Amino acid sequence: MRKKSSLTLTDLLIGSFLLLVCLFFVYRIKVGLNYNWAWDSIPQFIFRFDKENNEWVSGILMTGFYTTIRLSFWGIILATVFGVISGIAKTSSILFLRWLATTYVETMRNLPPLVIIFIAYFFVGDQLLSPLGIDDWAETLSPASQNILSILFAKPGYLTSFFAALMTLAIFEGAYITEIVRAGIESIDKGQWEASHALGLTWYQQMRHIILPQTFQRIMPPMAGQFISLIKDSSIVSVISIQELCFQGIELMTSTLHTIEIWTVVTLMYLTLTLPCSLLVEKLETRLNLSLR
Amino acid sequence: MTEKKFGDYIINVDNICKTFPNGVKALCNFSTNIRRAEVVVVIGPSGSGKSTFLRCLNGLEEIDSGSIIFDGIPLDDDKKNRLKIRREMGMVFQSFNLFPHMTVLENVTLAQQLVRKSSASVAKSVSMELLEKVGIQDKVASYPAQLSGGQQQRVAIARALALKPKVMLFDEATSALDPEMIGEVLDVMKTLANEGMTMICVTHELGFAREVSDWVIFMDEGRIIEGGTAEEFFSAPKEERTKGFLNQIL
Repeated sequence: MRKKSSLTLTDLLIGSFLLLVCLFFVYRIKVGLNYNWAWDSIPQFIFRFDKENNEWVSGILMTGFYTTIRLSFWGIILATVFGVISGIAKTSSILFLRWLATTYVETMRNLPPLVIIFIAYFFVGDQLLSPLGIDDWAETLSPASQNILSILFAKPGYLTSFFAALMTLAIFEGAYITEIVRAGIESIDKGQWEASHALGLTWYQQMRHIILPQTFQRIMPPMAGQFISLIKDSSIVSVISIQELCFQGIELMTSTLHTIEIWTVVTLMYLTLTLPCSLLVEKLETRLNLSLR
Repeated sequence: MTEKKFGDYIINVDNICKTFPNGVKALCNFSTNIRRAEVVVVIGPSGSGKSTFLRCLNGLEEIDSGSIIFDGIPLDDDKKNRLKIRREMGMVFQSFNLFPHMTVLENVTLAQQLVRKSSASVAKSVSMELLEKVGIQDKVASYPAQLSGGQQQRVAIARALALKPKVMLFDEATSALDPEMIGEVLDVMKTLANEGMTMICVTHELGFAREVSDWVIFMDEGRIIEGGTAEEFFSAPKEERTKGFLNQIL
């Protein structure tokens, strides 16, 4: 069904009402709020000119933005790996694997992410990752490799907490992806299993060539939605001092008190990451609808 | 009908029983033997266990008791045996079950490369030959959704033939088709039968059964009620239930 795109009287009424609300909001800030606007101090938090080295460097908010991108990028990859593996396990004929995957999903979905973050940070990060000595190892590397490490992950000294945060995020979001993958696999017609079974394909061949390709085609839209959630949820790792966008925003706010400006910039930065994903979802959904017609 | 030479028994089904988890008895003390090059047609009212019988033969359903031996290989718990048997049996389904994410050509090629380890070029030429045989040679790059039901079913037949199976199983291959497309699929099946393919067909097409089959099995409630050559069966059915069924349909 095609939706109407011309404006009706109701649309105009609603629109003008919203406009009034906005105007009132601006008026309140101007009159009621004794706020010291300082937009001119904001650009330096994004990019600033380093006079000592005579070059442009990223400001505090921008470095936070980079960390958020790193967390999101690796998080999406890892969460997908976890989710696909345990999603397949959930549809397995082996009871033990189903139990394992179900336990994982139910634990993650029934705990607040903050609790998971703290558990992961203090137990996994401190007890499991620290003894590995990732940070000590990174210190011994050549400056060039250290540089690559800090572009890909985090600076030496911050690696352990970065990986702890990354794992937490991936494990947490992986639980939701598990359910998406499971539902996707189960939505594939039984006939596909039977036809490939009759052709003498092994279970692995069935999965690899018949079931998973169709599953991925189908779960693209909910997966992209989950990726958006992951990008947004990456902000919770600020509580364990990962210097991502939200953490940097909070730091700046407490030191400069330019609350409104800073959070406006942070908002825009998150939107530059999530909006393209949303558009992608919309595109994928139209394409899916077309191919299913 | 021309006289055909049958070979030795290729499938021995001995006393198999199958009860579904919901308690429905699908097959009950079912025994039959099928010779090479024989075309066996299984008919009967719906729910009589015809499809279940076919699906037990290649392990899509598990039998509860009895035995199935295919070309000397027992269909038992040994996974290797089961895989071997499946690879020697082609199956055509009522709902085609083509792989929608692959082109017609890929549908036919896939199993040859995965199961028979054929090279891409050999697999492709075999596929083209088969697709020509079923009359789909000009649609090889299309996706299943772009084909009519009859065309899809012919591709499905080509796909099943691609592994050069010793036996072909047809599970109501024409039941989901529009009437005008039934003929084109039956024609392909007739060609196969004339080439000496061993076939077991579950069907409602009595005309096809009469014309092509060497042996007709009439089933009801999971048992064989009557079996005979097409001529005996259609002209002089012995059992009352068979007569009743034929009267209803003819």
